Amino acid sequence: MKFFFKIILKYYLKYITKTVLFLHQPKIVAVCGSINKTFVRDEIVRNFKKEKKSIRANPKNFNTEIGLPLAILNVSSGYNSYRGWISPIIEALKAVFQKKFPKYLVLEFGISQKGDMKYLLSIVSPKIFVITDITQRYVESFSGMDELFEEYEYLAEKISKNDWLVLNYDNIKIRELAKRTLAKVVSFGEQNFSSEWRIAKIEKNPQGQKVSISYQGKEKKYQLNRFGKHHAFALVASLAVKNIRI
Amino acid sequence: MFDRTKNLRLSVIKQMEIMATQFPDTISLAQGVPGFDTPECIKRRVEKALQEKVVAKYSLSPGIPELRELIEIKLARDNMFYDWEKEIIVTAGSIEGITATILTITNPGDEIIVPDPTYTSYREVILLSGCQPVFVSLNEQKGWAFELKKFEEAITSRTKAIFYCNPNNPTGTTYSREQLLSLAELARKHNLFLLSDEVYKDFIFPLRSERIFSLAEIPELRKRVIRFFSFSKSYAMTGWRVGYLHSDESVIREIIKVHDSLVTCAPVISQYAAMGALEMAQKEVINFNKEYAEKRDFVYQKFDEMKNFFSYIKPQSAYYIFPKIIKKEISMGFPEEKSFSWRFSKWILEETHVAVVPGIAFGENGEDHIRINFGRNQKGLEEALKRIKKFLQKQKLV
Repeated sequence: MKFFFKIILKYYLKYITKTVLFLHQPKIVAVCGSINKTFVRDEIVRNFKKEKKSIRANPKNFNTEIGLPLAILNVSSGYNSYRGWISPIIEALKAVFQKKFPKYLVLEFGISQKGDMKYLLSIVSPKIFVITDITQRYVESFSGMDELFEEYEYLAEKISKNDWLVLNYDNIKIRELAKRTLAKVVSFGEQNFSSEWRIAKIEKNPQGQKVSISYQGKEKKYQLNRFGKHHAFALVASLAVKNIRI
Repeated sequence: MFDRTKNLRLSVIKQMEIMATQFPDTISLAQGVPGFDTPECIKRRVEKALQEKVVAKYSLSPGIPELRELIEIKLARDNMFYDWEKEIIVTAGSIEGITATILTITNPGDEIIVPDPTYTSYREVILLSGCQPVFVSLNEQKGWAFELKKFEEAITSRTKAIFYCNPNNPTGTTYSREQLLSLAELARKHNLFLLSDEVYKDFIFPLRSERIFSLAEIPELRKRVIRFFSFSKSYAMTGWRVGYLHSDESVIREIIKVHDSLVTCAPVISQYAAMGALEMAQKEVINFNKEYAEKRDFVYQKFDEMKNFFSYIKPQSAYYIFPKIIKKEISMGFPEEKSFSWRFSKWILEETHVAVVPGIAFGENGEDHIRINFGRNQKGLEEALKRIKKFLQKQKLV
């Protein structure tokens, strides 16, 4: 019963979401990878908001086959309760008729099972994909890292030449994706000196950290009120995205 | 033999619970457990983790990365900025984090200053670590506030830390921003750690949107403040034994060694429950808070009906009230007990079959009080307070 309900719900949400996206044509930035998606997403949103762009992001963990459509439709989840789903199902339908829809969507893609990438790409067509990093996290449902990478290889091969891949070049396997795609590629990182957007230095201070970012031979410093290298990575990835005109 | 444990005592709260078992119709307002079951969404997250077969193995010692990420995000919402990779440890309840911390920051013979009254187990953990608790009384007339002068007077060359619970257990009161900042200044002056146990901070009375201030919000204090939180109270998860602590990287990299040797990692199944809590249960916390606020008002009303026997400070958080017994000339028996609040609690238990905690359990300054947990179910709470009132009326005390 639960299985069938989930299947019906999945496709119901998928086709409503596709209708909404067709009607409103928002520009979509997708953030994928095993770690740091939320922080990268937040930085991108912050930058877009600074530019007064109308934007919506998915809440953390609304990033899978059910969660992603809910985030796009701006509808809450019924989680595992049949009764809890009554309202989201009605609200999802109403979303087709909503007048105000953001011009930009920043969406996390949760890839935790074989075929997830293909399914999510059957719902949305992002203009920019950021791949944060790919690690052992979420590998449990795959036969190994190679199978997990196949999801990203599928993405690299599927994405059109007019769209963008923003890649973490510190990861050698991610770097290789650049060779498998027709899309335009922008790179970021810390250790790999061939990255276009590179973290040159991180200095911790009581208020957070000062991050020096180098791009095209110039270095600029940013003071973050957050601690941890992952915020420096979120910053550099978001700057790479900001520089792309879509 | 047993040199390390001979001065430890079994928690008075647990002693009361054991005594209460002799009366089958006892209503317990003693132990600090929430009156709710763990929210369904948390249980479902655990079911999912079980199905995915991810709970059988150890996690990394500081905890599952996804959980620590969620904790970082939650902390940032509360204006506290900590790096999930290096500055947050998921613990087996907050008490394990507290134990690991005290073992890390002290040497045997050191002293830790603790406000009085406060949570009973602090004393035991400090003694177990070979240190001495130094109790400094809070001012009941000022709503159980700190008196900074008393804290300063208690500091010696062996003092390592000031360890407080905010909101405070058993009083349910909170320390103001100004009080905490002046305490931080004192800690800075004497180079002390500040251990801040904030397990009740999600409950605020009267209901309002503002948060309870924490010294962990001040970036300049991050090397000095070690903050503890538990999922037990906010998410009705006392049995899951999961919490976390956070501080600056320089402190955490030492605490993690002790945490690792004590427990290896927090129970992985409980870490998934904690993920469910942070992902989905915020609405439940708000509902719990609303219900506790209603119960608090009910309890006020009942104690106001006995105001010539009890006086009380209104709690601003947690689910405790700590009334003072103002009539002390009572013949109760139990001459073997030196403490008045012990005698009173035993008397109430025997005569009404209602278990409360004697105030002495929380320190000498808690004497003459009893702690009542009003977080239990409403029916039991009503019946318990009815029994107490009826009994005191019969004794012509109210």
